[in-house]
Amino acid sequence: MFETFDHTADMGLRIQADSLNQLFEQAALGLFSLIVKDINSIAPKEQFQLTIAGTDLDYLLFDWLRELLYRWEVHQQLCCSFQVTIDKNGLQATIHGESLDPARHSLVHEVKAITYHGLEVKQIGNSWEAELIVDI
Amino acid sequence: MKKDEFKGNLQKIDTCCYRIPQSYKPGMLVPGHIFANDILLESLMKDQAPEQVANVAMLPGIQIASMAMPDIHWGYGFCIGGVAATDPEEGGVISPGGVGYDINCGVRLVKTNLFFKDIQPYHHTLMQQMFKTIPAGTGRTGDYKFDVNELTHLLGKGASYVIDRGLGTAEDLAHTEANGFIDGCDPSLVSSRAIERGANQCGTLGSGNHFMEVQIVDQICDETVAKTFGLQKDMVCVMIHSGSRGLGYQVCDDALLSFRGVPERYGIELPDRQLACAPVDSPEGRKYIGAMRAAANYGFCNRQLLMQQAREVFARVFGRSWQDLGMELLYDVAHNIAKLEEHTVYGKKKKVWVHRKGATRAFPAGHPELPEIFRHTGQPVIIPGDMGRASWVLVGMPGSMEKTFGTTCHGAGRAMSRKMALKHAPGQVVKKALAERGILALAQSAAGLAEEQPDAYKNVDHVVDAVHDANLSRKVARMRPIGVIKG
Repeated sequence: MFETFDHTADMGLRIQADSLNQLFEQAALGLFSLIVKDINSIAPKEQFQLTIAGTDLDYLLFDWLRELLYRWEVHQQLCCSFQVTIDKNGLQATIHGESLDPARHSLVHEVKAITYHGLEVKQIGNSWEAELIVDI
Repeated sequence: MKKDEFKGNLQKIDTCCYRIPQSYKPGMLVPGHIFANDILLESLMKDQAPEQVANVAMLPGIQIASMAMPDIHWGYGFCIGGVAATDPEEGGVISPGGVGYDINCGVRLVKTNLFFKDIQPYHHTLMQQMFKTIPAGTGRTGDYKFDVNELTHLLGKGASYVIDRGLGTAEDLAHTEANGFIDGCDPSLVSSRAIERGANQCGTLGSGNHFMEVQIVDQICDETVAKTFGLQKDMVCVMIHSGSRGLGYQVCDDALLSFRGVPERYGIELPDRQLACAPVDSPEGRKYIGAMRAAANYGFCNRQLLMQQAREVFARVFGRSWQDLGMELLYDVAHNIAKLEEHTVYGKKKKVWVHRKGATRAFPAGHPELPEIFRHTGQPVIIPGDMGRASWVLVGMPGSMEKTFGTTCHGAGRAMSRKMALKHAPGQVVKKALAERGILALAQSAAGLAEEQPDAYKNVDHVVDAVHDANLSRKVARMRPIGVIKG
């Protein structure tokens, strides 16, 4: 699950999941929920793969969201479902979504960037948690 | 991370300034100076912004103090309203976080020879036309397209590039900070991703707190300076707030990626990764500076094209040319930028890198960098407030050179988070309340309007009082909004 939290100028995203893979999937959903009013308005029409190398989990989460944001900004690719596998080399993901259709997708925020401020991925007992702030 | 209140010790230096002592945190190289009055104190203690002022005091080479303007609020890395000057000769650093993602975000004010009574019959039509014409909101591209080659020239030349294409006048350049061009830029350092993001966005407003407003001068505070600036009571003005769009965001993002591990390499310990920095005189530092300056040039072009579109809308609605409507640029200021400037530090003249993260240059009369027209008055400073209350024109004062590296505030500063604002009142309620007060608010997103509602901001009059009393900049004119377009 994910929720937003208060940040004076921008928007905080707090994510909790039972596994690290799910944490990354939920974080991506959280990002697109900030961009689009209704995440359910995005249909899983197209599929693509992403591979991101990295061992530091904080940076890996950052790079994952950064890449999705770039694809949205430049290719207008909205995403709605994610299957993430993380191993010792980094992340592999299968992503579903579709291109922006202004008639069906109501946009709410222009996310300028993912920030490093307060970025943290941590394991608490058997579950995983992350917090980050996005620049609006 | 929680939005905790700041619990540290703030020492009152005088009626306009509070100090965070250098002893507050290990690693602080200088104290923190927060310029604020008693009215603003309560709101600035509400979040972690003062903690961020203390963190910035740890940047190598920082001079005198880590400073914050009265519109201070919680940012990422630097607080919004933060000012830090670093000396390259003392190992001074450049920090992309001290500029922000929106490189050369800034404001410009365009005058007209119209008065409130002239505009009343056209009020609705004008705002509708403006909303229809000016590309605003997330995902919107503009009418001006630049291919990679053209964009490279634009980044290398600044506002004169679009003016040479007939989209403005030579006078516009003289009325833009740095003549709309930051020298020392290197467009080849701007990544292809940044170019891609910026290709179709020059001349677009964006979203968030960016806006275009039609305003009426409702108070003149300094008759002499107002006369030089060409401002009169009841005059219609247009205020434009935007930056370097996706291109600038990407340049900052790229720099932060390339700065990973760099502070460690130079033995710099930082309390927050978002404060990532590199010595000015290092390959990493020089690369960021070259790309940041190019992005700043894009920002000047973006506001120039936005102004040109506003001029065309007025011309269409009033059936007269924009020249005939007296639509001259008063001034354009950057408020997210780092610049190499000469300042006097403890009696010694030095070239320092002044980071202004949500802070505006405010050079006083006599400063050699000012154009002839403002040499005797000081630089016009444009301060946007909120869409319901007011905005201001100030003039730079000598106190800014003495206390803040030639800097003043940049706006009202947020008082409420976006989430709180959404709960406070929905967009439609905000729109109706503004309409009842004669302000037409047109936004692409109702949520965006709610997040930017007047109550989400501090009262800009209080912020301006604080910089006026601190002699950083002086009040010249106050404007009230009558129409706003938002993303």
